[in-house]
Formats: sequence, structure tokens, C-alpha cells
Amino acid sequence: MAFKNGILTAVGILAAHLALSGVANAQTCEPAKLSEKYPSLVGKTIKIGADPQTPPYVMRDKSNFENVIGIDADLARATFDCAGLKYEFVLGGWSGLLPAVMAGQIDVMWDNLYYKPARAKTVDFVVYMKAGTGALVPAGNPKKVASIEDFCGKTVAFGLGSVEEQATRKQDEACKAAGKDAVTMMPFQDLAAGMRQLESGRSDILLWDLGFADASVKDAPTKYARAFAIISGLTIGAATANGNADLIKVIHDGLTVLQSKGEQAAIFTRYGVDPSTAIPAEVKLD
Amino acid sequence: MQIIRTSSRAIAVAILALAFLASTAEAQAQVSAALQELSGEADAAAAVEQHWIWEFFSYAASEFLWVGAWTAVKITALSMAIGLVLGLGLALMRLSRLFVVRAAAWFYIWIVRGTPQLLQLVFIYDALPYIGLKFDSFTTAVIGFALNQAAFSAEIIRGGILSVNKAQSTAATALGMGPVLTLRRIVLPQAMRSILPGVGNDTISMLKLTSIASIIFVNELTFRAQQIVGQNFRFFTVFAAAGLIYLILTSAISIAQSWAEARFDLERERRPRGETLRRMFGFRLNEKPGEDVPAPKPLAVSPADAHVSDDDVFRSLATSAGGIAKRGEPFVVCRNVQKSYGDRVVLNGIDMTVARGEVVVLLGPSGSGKSTFLRTINHLEPVDWGEITVDGRHVGYAPLPGGGLKPTRALAKARADARIGMVFQHFNLFNHLSALENVIEAPIRVFGIAPEAARALGLRLLGEVGLAGHADHLPHRLSGGQQQRVAIARALAISPKLMLFDEPTSALDPELVGEVLQVMRKLASAGMTMIVVTHEIRFAREVADRVVFMDEGVIVEQGPPSEVIDNPSQDRTRRFLRVVERAETAS
Repeated sequence: MAFKNGILTAVGILAAHLALSGVANAQTCEPAKLSEKYPSLVGKTIKIGADPQTPPYVMRDKSNFENVIGIDADLARATFDCAGLKYEFVLGGWSGLLPAVMAGQIDVMWDNLYYKPARAKTVDFVVYMKAGTGALVPAGNPKKVASIEDFCGKTVAFGLGSVEEQATRKQDEACKAAGKDAVTMMPFQDLAAGMRQLESGRSDILLWDLGFADASVKDAPTKYARAFAIISGLTIGAATANGNADLIKVIHDGLTVLQSKGEQAAIFTRYGVDPSTAIPAEVKLD
Repeated sequence: MQIIRTSSRAIAVAILALAFLASTAEAQAQVSAALQELSGEADAAAAVEQHWIWEFFSYAASEFLWVGAWTAVKITALSMAIGLVLGLGLALMRLSRLFVVRAAAWFYIWIVRGTPQLLQLVFIYDALPYIGLKFDSFTTAVIGFALNQAAFSAEIIRGGILSVNKAQSTAATALGMGPVLTLRRIVLPQAMRSILPGVGNDTISMLKLTSIASIIFVNELTFRAQQIVGQNFRFFTVFAAAGLIYLILTSAISIAQSWAEARFDLERERRPRGETLRRMFGFRLNEKPGEDVPAPKPLAVSPADAHVSDDDVFRSLATSAGGIAKRGEPFVVCRNVQKSYGDRVVLNGIDMTVARGEVVVLLGPSGSGKSTFLRTINHLEPVDWGEITVDGRHVGYAPLPGGGLKPTRALAKARADARIGMVFQHFNLFNHLSALENVIEAPIRVFGIAPEAARALGLRLLGEVGLAGHADHLPHRLSGGQQQRVAIARALAISPKLMLFDEPTSALDPELVGEVLQVMRKLASAGMTMIVVTHEIRFAREVADRVVFMDEGVIVEQGPPSEVIDNPSQDRTRRFLRVVERAETAS
């Protein structure tokens, strides 16, 4: 028995050692080991596709417009630095990013992209945060909006074709069904147009990504307030073209390290985004 | 936002703003402070923020935006250049005689004009990589905009080409100019007037439209402005600044367009280089003291000398032109020439021989086929049947081994080699060229005569026809009679062996007919071989060696004027002469 116990102990120690070394591998950045860990990416410059008008994810630096900052830009930089990869930002309109990933014009789209099962058929994801909707109102919340039920009779601005649009339309039906005033809907093409709506008082409420809403309030607390938030259950991730196993691994490994070191939370805090919206990095292929 | 109430304050702000643009950072801070002070009732909070004017100009001068503007300019310039070249090709394809070529161009234009440009850009950028064609953003934008511009400018250029009278290219063809030369030297310069406004429009649109290329990662002006707005939401100042930059760029395009339009304006007064400046400021750049504009030397020194030289030039032209036929021998031989337009028979078997040095006048009612016959001699019109030789050679036809003829490929060269001068009813002078330039165009471009020699010959010929003082005038400044005399000089400048006149006086006012006939008389007496279609009976009687009367595509009778005009044997001839003579006495 002693012999058997001894073997078990030995196996146990070995397993623990292997497990520990594995964890240790995943939790340190080893930029020097690029050729060892991700051989197919040696010598490659990763093209990160992003739209620098999507604060707080990707945007221009106020103090120097040549720089691109934001939680996604900072995460991407930290991730690829961690792997020892060279990278560059390729900046374009948001709606052109995903087709460019699929065509191979850029290597990764990293800019407030929601994971959806249908999207995952054409690209591979690594998700790292929860998506949510923030209801942005003027500071002091003059219309006393506390939840989506308060939309009846109000004017609401949202992105065309967004989850926010679906939610607002549903609420509009509910308002009418209950015999209350309908919701006046103001769909917009780009966020700046939506912000003008709110600023000029043409809309009472702006529905947009939660991260953006929080960042706006942090930036200008005298102008904006968050009326409420909805956590939709959607997740946000970086996407690559199908079949880039090494690149997906780089992103997953890198994000895992950043999360374990608390760097992701630090980046979120820097831009006024709630660190609790982070989720453990997870690869989603199909 | 601060509203500027009084005009004096507005002016002060404008001056400060200009000062801001032109000054250093340190000075800018002072100007900014001055602006804040100027805004008067600004409260403490506003004073801490930048004044909006300051902000506006700092964006308008921002390198970040100007880099985007430069990208837009580069894309526009390259795409426009490529697009215009392709567009010219497409326009010519659309005007082709071959259905397949026309259809291909039409199809391209249909597809490209009919689909959104945004989708075309995304297609080139994101779909072509699947078949191995991967272009970067800038290249994609240039390709996309150029292909699009090609379709639009093809239609603009086609419109321009169609706006140039067909007679212009006919005249060029008669001078032996090939299709490419005609297009480049004669048609396009005149088409420019109607092409340029459209192209100017398109250039301005394109510059602004480059913003859609943000979808394929082109960071041009609008996209960059949006990025700033996306960051700080200062819509008004940022977009106003971007608007100002666009306005500056499009103004430059407008100025370039005006300049180009003035350059191709036919009605504009032609001034020597520097003359405009001289008129504006009273001096000319690069002017050497004491240098004067040389006045054109009068050609004719004395009437007696002039007369001698007249005869000399015309005679030397009429006799020097080489050839095998001697004076009096058959020079133009037409056998059984037949031609139809569709079902209508125009020439129904013409047999005619013209001897070297002979002057033949073709008479006949309208529609009798005289002009068509004349145009078959220099192969402006192909014949359906029969053959014509000039000085023993076919013009643009080669004999087939088993008999018969086939058209040769180098038709323009054949026409040039035949050296047949032609004068048209409506003169067909090149409207964009001065009298002298009209005369020397073919000698230089077709026959390779040195420009200086050609100029000397041109001035001499213009002197012969009495227009030495009009050498630099554009055709529209000349009377009909003067234009026709330039046209005769132009036809003579290619040293013709044969001159064809197609109703040269029919479009002239009666009082101008004489001056043209005078020149023709001189030419005839110098011994030039001439075939003249005219209704001038008196001229025919005086000058013609032989009169040919045509009707309904056949020769009815021919002979010396004393027979055909004074004593016609055919009824049809008599009827025609009665009508013409009545008309002559009436006018």
C-alpha cells in the first residue's frame, strides 16, 4: 500500500507541477518566446482594425490626435506587447471593419464588437467583457427616467438597427398597449448625431453602449447622468478571420495575463468603465 | 456660443483670426487672450474655456485635419487623371462603328454609374482579395474613384466630341490628317469648352466624396473631423473648420477650372504672353528695355511686285507638284463610279476624265450627286462600284489579284499622299486656330514641314489671297469671304496636285462672292487642275475648260462652256440653266 500511495503521491505531485507550470506559462508575458509559442506569427505585423470614433473603446487622444487610445486600443496594445508581436492600427469606418477581417485586409477587429452566434460563423472571437446599454440623460435627470418603463411619451435616440432599437420598439408597443403615450423614436447613423440630439434637447434619452455612457458621465458629470443600465447578456470580444489558431491563442493568452494582473481592470477604470463588466477571456469559435 | 453683435467687433475678430493663422504659438496665445477680452460679457467659466473662434481656427490650421485633406487631394488628383484617360477611351468606344465595342463601353458605364460607389469600394477592398487581388486602402480608393470617374467622364467627353461640328473632322480628313491626329489637334481642343465645366463639377464632387472611403480605412478629412468629434463632441467648430478647408480646396479647383476655360475659349481676345499683366500693371514681366513687339511686315511691297509674286506662288504650286501626268494628259480618271445611300442611288455610273491643268465645272440641280462625286475623288466617301485614279493611283484602294479593289488600312496616309486639296461650302475652318494656324496645321503635322518654313509658306499664301493682315485672327472674326479665302490657302498649303471646290461661294453673301472667285480665277490661270462644283454660271463660262452637267447620278452632257451653257443639247440642262439664270438676275 505504501508503494501504491507513493505512486499516487508522485503522480499527484507531477500533475500539480504540470498544472502549475501551465498556469505559470499562461500568466506571464514572454515576448522573447514568440517563435516558440506562436511560430506561425514570427515576423508578422498584426493589423488591428478599429474605428477611432467609438469612445471609450477606440478614440483619438485629446492631447495628441495622432495617438489612438481607449479600452480596446489599450487592451490590444498590451496583448500584442505581451506576445512580443509587432502591430499597427488600421483605422476606418466601423461598418467596414468586419468585412476587412474576413477579406484578410486586417488581422483582427478590436473595437466594441458584440459576440453573436451568427457572426461567429464567419469570424473567431475572444470575448473579455459584458455588453450593456446605458441610458444617458442630461445631468440631474430632469425627466426622472429610472427604467425603460418610463419611456412612454418621451423622445429616445438610439443607433439604427441596434439592440437598443429593439428594446425601445418593444417598450413602445407596451406603452401603447397600456394606453399611454407612444415613444418618439430618433434612430441615428452615428453616435455624434445622437449626442447632438441629446445636447440640443431634441431627445430626452440617448441609448448607447454602457461603457460609453459611463465614460461620458465620468468625463462631463455636469452635463450627463446615467439614468439606468441594462446588462443585455451579450459579450464583447476581438475577432479574427476563421482558422487563425495562433492569433486567437495570442489574444486569449494575453488577455488572461492582463486579467490576472489586474491590468484590464486598470484600463477600464482609466476610461470610467465599470471593471465588474469584465469577464474571463474565453475563445468562441463557432 | 458667443454672438458677435456689432460689425466693428466682427471685423476685429476677423483681423485677430487672420493674425492668429499667420503667427507663432506665443503670439497665438496673445491673440487668444485678446479674443476673450473682445467677447465682452463672457463670464468667468467661459473665459476659462477657449473662445470658439480660437478653437475654430486652431482646428482649421490643425495638421491632423490637413493631413486628411492632403490624402483627399492626392486621391482626387490621381483618380481624376486616370479617370479622364479611361473616360476618353470609353467615349471613343461609345462612338465606335462596331456594335460590340459600343456595347462593351455602354455596359461598363451602365454598371458603374448604376451601382453605389460605396459598394464598389468595399467590393474592391474586401471581395477581390478572395481571388488574390489585394490592394491597400489608398490604392483601392484611387482605383475605385478612377473607375467611377471613367464612366462619368466618358459621357461628358462624348458629349463634348459630339458638340464639335462633324465638318471640322471632315476638313481635317481632307487634309490627310489621321483619326488620332484629328481627335487630338482638332476635335478635343474644341470639345474642351463643353467638357471642362462638367469635369470641374466632377472634381469638386470627388474631393468631397472621398470621405466615403473611410469604410476602406482611408483617413481623409471628413473621417478625421468625425474622429475629433467622436472624441470631444465639438461638432460646430470641428465641422466648420473642415468645411473651411474643403472650401479652400474647392476654390482652388474652381480657379483652375476658370483658367482652363479661358484657355480654351474661342471668343477670347488672343493676347501675347505677358500682355494681360502689362495691361493690369502697366509693365510686362521679363521685358527687356528697348524691346518692342515686332509689327508684322507687310508682305506685298508694291502692287507690281505683288502681282509677280502672286503668279509665282500659284504657278509654282500648280506646276511643281510632281507626278507622271504631263499637262494635258489624263490626270483624274473615273470609271463607272456607283454609290448608293441605302436604297437611294446617288451615283449611277459616272465616267469622266480630267486632264492635267484642266478646270472642270460640275453643274446640276441639288441632289444630282455632284458633291458626293467630288467626295469620292479624295475618298472622303467610299465608292460602291467602279474606280477612280488620281495621277495614276487609287486613293485608299488596292487592286485585288483577281481584279476589283479593296480599301487599304492606311486611308489617311493614302489621302495625304494623293495631295488633293479641298474647299468646302461652309469653309470648315478650324475654329480654335488662327488663320495662319489653320493654314500650317497639315503641313507641319501631316507632311512634317519645319514650323518656320511652314509659317513662311503660310504667310505667303495668306498674302496671295489678300489676308496677310489677318494671319492671327480666329475664324469667327473673319467675314465669310475671308474665311473661304483662308480655306483656299489652307488647301493650297499641302501643295496639292488637284483642287476640289464644293460649292465654294454658295454660303456667301452676294457681295463677298467676287473676292473668292477672284482667287479661284488666279489659281486656274496659274494652271492648277481644278474640279469645281458651283452654281456660278458666269464663272463657269469664263474659267472652265469644260462644263459637266449632272442630274440624278449620271452625266447628262459635257463639253466646253460655249456648248453646254450657251447652247445645251439636252432638255434637262436647258431647264436647269433657265432656273439658275433667273435666280441670278433676281439677286
